[in-house]
Amino acid sequence: MITDDIFELVSYDIDEESHIRVDTEVCGQCAHRACTFACPARCYQWNEARGKIDFAYEGCLECGTCLIICEKGALDWKYPRGGFGVRFRLT
Amino acid sequence: MKGYDAIVVGAGPAGATAALAMANKGLKVLVVERGPTVGSKNMFGGMVSHCPVVEELVPGFWEQAPWERHVVKRTLTVLSEAAATSIVFESENFDRQPYNGYTLFRPIFDRWYARKAVDAGATLLAGCLAEDVVLQNASITGIRIGRGKGQVHAPITILCDGVLSLLARRLGLSKPAEARNVALGVKALFRLKEEEINERFGLLRRQGASQEFLGCTEGIRGGGFVYTQTETLSVGLVVHLDSLKESRKAPYDLFQRFLTREPVRKLLKEARLVEYSAHVLPEGGYRLVPQLSAGGLLLAGDAAGLCYTNGLNQEGMNLAMTSGFLAAETAIDAFEKGNFSEKQLAGYEARLKESFVLKDMRTFGAAEELMHNDRLFSVYPNLVGTIMEQLYRSDGRPKRGMGRVAWDAARNSLPLKHLIADALKGGGSLI
Repeated sequence: MITDDIFELVSYDIDEESHIRVDTEVCGQCAHRACTFACPARCYQWNEARGKIDFAYEGCLECGTCLIICEKGALDWKYPRGGFGVRFRLT
Repeated sequence: MKGYDAIVVGAGPAGATAALAMANKGLKVLVVERGPTVGSKNMFGGMVSHCPVVEELVPGFWEQAPWERHVVKRTLTVLSEAAATSIVFESENFDRQPYNGYTLFRPIFDRWYARKAVDAGATLLAGCLAEDVVLQNASITGIRIGRGKGQVHAPITILCDGVLSLLARRLGLSKPAEARNVALGVKALFRLKEEEINERFGLLRRQGASQEFLGCTEGIRGGGFVYTQTETLSVGLVVHLDSLKESRKAPYDLFQRFLTREPVRKLLKEARLVEYSAHVLPEGGYRLVPQLSAGGLLLAGDAAGLCYTNGLNQEGMNLAMTSGFLAAETAIDAFEKGNFSEKQLAGYEARLKESFVLKDMRTFGAAEELMHNDRLFSVYPNLVGTIMEQLYRSDGRPKRGMGRVAWDAARNSLPLKHLIADALKGGGSLI
């Protein structure tokens, strides 16, 4: 199994709007940036050039990890609109 | 929008049970489910323990329900660097009905179960997110849906919206979850022929097996698991979030390395990866069960933090269904009295305390603390491997007594005070 492959196996109905808002100002003061490695869907990446967090909501598994590990409260975390987001087939 | 007698948020096992029980009693029930279909947001890949309460709602429940295998074999494997030490429990009694536990697919099971509630008269609204609750005179009188545009009213709302329960959090019923009280589960589903699964796990017909692994998380507090479905295996890791955060490791990397461990690799040989998923689960135990009711409101299932592990049992779905049932009984009682006050609904907690739900969570409350001992996931698995290897090894030198081997290995692995403290605490929390 190659790590990249596992992300290809998830189905989504992607909403046009992100259900999570990241306050990148707050992220700038974060020492651990745990979201960049703990998110099981790799939605968060530290952008060295821009000096801020890049966030892509499209691959979000709605698991709640980032909401809990971000004790700085940088996230405005909601579930996607009804019917949207990740959709597990069997699992 | 028109009013209902009761609103259930979330059509998982807690919600479906609550809805079915209330609809059976003639209440007008609305169930809202944010997934496009029931169960589509769920990534469960374990075992549901036998749960008698649902038989009261659906006679022959477990004969009808779409489960995959009934679990007759449970294995606990301790992995050290090069060795695996297992305790295998297999019982013919678990091969007889009523079966003790089942593996199942939640997108299938939940949909079937919610259908039972609909057949009993409940209204199901899938693809509908409950965005907020309606608060009137310190009592919850309904929910907001449709991007704040719609409201549905009912004298009672039962929140079965899962571990994150954003609604309970907003109401201040549960505290913001801390990383040490939450675990992350990552899981993948692998397809394998039925006969192949039976052969590898030593099963016949629809017999199922579970295997839990300790010492496979690189010192992070957590463990691994493999569950057998009919033609698939659910394989994953569960790790405490604070411990993961400290490790600075990615869960999918840990998972990938878990899959390469020899005992796991053998089980998965030629199996085809079909789905990946992840979700957090409550790990706080009895201590962190939130306020379970308020005026016009009840919490059930994961939303109520009803989920625990004691090292051998991992219980959640049966607690969810039983709490959903007791929430419905509380609601029915409230309707008979025409009273939905905070005081009236507080009877729900009393019902849970009388049932096995909160009794078990209390019994194993201290086990939660044991599960937060880092040594259980690093020092001890290696110690077990060292001792077992020395006991079995033949190298032409005289063997030492078994007690001596174990004692020396333990003394070389950790300070005596830790050993004594862990023995006392570990023993005390499980016995």
